[in-house]
This record gives sequence, C-alpha cells and structure tokens, in this order.
Amino acid sequence: MLNKYTCLAKLAARRKNEIIITCMGTAKPWEKLSDTALDFASVDSAMGHAADLGLGIAIAQPHRRVIVLNGDGSMLMSLGTLVTIAQRPCQNYVMVIIENGTYEVTGNQVVPGSGIVEFETMARGAGIEQVYTVKDEAEFEERLPLIFQGKGPSIFIWKVERGEEPVPTFRESLADRVRRLRHALLSSC
Amino acid sequence: MKLTASKIHKALKEQGITHVVGLPDNLSRVFFQGLVEDPEIEVIMVCREGEAFAIAAGLYIGGKQAVVLIQNTGLLEAGDALRGTAWNMRIPQAILLCYRGFKSLDPEVERKDSVAVFTEPTMKAWGIPFEVMRDDSELAMINRAFERAQSSSKPAAVIMADTIV
Repeated sequence: MLNKYTCLAKLAARRKNEIIITCMGTAKPWEKLSDTALDFASVDSAMGHAADLGLGIAIAQPHRRVIVLNGDGSMLMSLGTLVTIAQRPCQNYVMVIIENGTYEVTGNQVVPGSGIVEFETMARGAGIEQVYTVKDEAEFEERLPLIFQGKGPSIFIWKVERGEEPVPTFRESLADRVRRLRHALLSSC
Repeated sequence: MKLTASKIHKALKEQGITHVVGLPDNLSRVFFQGLVEDPEIEVIMVCREGEAFAIAAGLYIGGKQAVVLIQNTGLLEAGDALRGTAWNMRIPQAILLCYRGFKSLDPEVERKDSVAVFTEPTMKAWGIPFEVMRDDSELAMINRAFERAQSSSKPAAVIMADTIV
C-alpha cells in the first residue's frame, strides 16, 4: 500500500508546467504542495466529472500535459468516461485513480466493489493501452516518470491507505478558479 | 414546417463553434451525421450526457467553443453535471436539446411521454433559459441562445421540437 501524501509530494517535486486537476480527497493536500494557476481543484463542481473535465482541457490544449488526480469513488460515478477517453485519445492526457476503497471525505464509507473492482482491467477493457497499477514504493518510483513522459492517454492506479481528509472547501469560488486557469492557459498561447 | 439539418448546422457555424459534444438520438440523427462529416468541427461522442457538460467546460477553459447536443432524457440524467460545471463555473454554455415526446404534449394526445412532461418545468426550475424551435423560421433562436449564454455567463438552450431532416 502507498501513502497518498508521500505520493503527492513526489509528484509535486517532479511537476513542471503540467495542468493538475484534483478533486475531493486530493484537492486540499495538493493545494498545500502547489497552488499555481495551473492547479485546478474540481471541487463544488460535478460529482465524478473531474476526469472528463480534464479530457476537455486536454483536447483544447494539445501541447500541454493534463494530469487528473481522480478518486476511486469519483471514477465509479462515471465509468463510461474511460470509454470516452479511449475513443477520443489524447496523447497529453494522464489520469491517476487514487484507490483507497472509500469515499474518504464523507466519512470513509466503503465504495461499491471495494476489493473486487479492478480499475486496470476496466480501463484496458475500455480500450486504453497505457494502464499501470501501482501497489508499493518500488513500483511507484519506477512508474512515476511515466506520468510526465510518453504518449497518453495513460491511467495510473495508486493503491493507497485510507485517509482522513474532510470535505474540501476553498476561499475562491469555482468560477474564480476557472477564470484563473483559463486566463493562464489563454494568455500563454 | 420542418427543421432542416443543414440550416441548423450553418447557424451553429455562424457562432464560431469548434466542437460539438453529445449523444445522437433518432431526432438528431441526420443533423449529427452532418456535423460528424464537417472537417471544421470536431464531434466528441460521450457515453452519458453528464460527460458532455464536463468535456464542454474543459474545452471552454482551454479556449474552445463547444455546444452540447443531447436529448431531453439525457438532460434529466445530467442535472448535477450541468449544475456543477456550466452553472457553477459560470460558463456561457449553449445547449441544443432534442425534444423527445413533444408531440405527445398536444391536448388531443392521451398518452403523454413523461420526459416531455418533465422537460420544460425542469429547465425552468434549474433556471436555464430556453426557447422551443418548431421549424426553420425560428432559427434565430440559436443565435439568441448563444447571446443569452454569453451575456449571462451561464447555460442557455434551444429545444428542437421535431425530427431534424
């Protein structure tokens, strides 16, 4: 099992100018590591739709790598998105499914299929070829560079310990966070 | 009295559309196919309508202009996605809806299609401005929907009340 906070810190240490989309259990931990205009918390937004929001950005901005830090509960809410990602493949699209088996921010209720569901199998079955399940530190160190290189779409499944994150809240509204990211993307074109 | 695919297509292009995100249905079949064959527009097919709003929001954030094209049944399914993306993000999202069951709303028709019964009250409750387009003489509704969306930074819709031919 991995530790989510350690994984995020290592990801942040390597990150350069990639767009990072977070949601629920990763939003506040990531904000402590990085809070640039290219960091976007999909919070107070649509449940389960960070992955497809990120896909839209990746399609619009093909020269920028988009990394979505999704949760397993969020992924389960829109599994069809895996098919959509496969049928509209973006080389610049990466999703990490952070699998802790629970809805962490609402009290760690067990997600449907916890311990049964294999996200790698589902992602491959959807037609995505670059899929990696990461269960321990050694695998993490080996796979981490792949998040930042190579042609996507790529899916990484991090098997992590349960956490205790509360429901994330942000001082800025979602609309303000959208404006910040959009301005950053369009002003650098 | 008809809705013509090529005319709606042209009206959309006049709005500077780069992408169409959605799902085809029997009403939009011909229109959708024409969009797919247009090399100047990318059509992104989704598995469920909620994805369409999220992808369209991402496209907007990235500097593109997308229209969401779905059936009214899918709109009901996509309520939280619409709320959490276009609405909460203040995105000027134009929506083209196909109006399944519209003809069943005629008082003379005994058996109503429940999705038609739900559609307009739901959109009013959600605060989405819309107009119902019955034939080509009302194509200006498309322009008005885009203008409304732009001026309010919120979604606005046209509901297409017949099969597009």
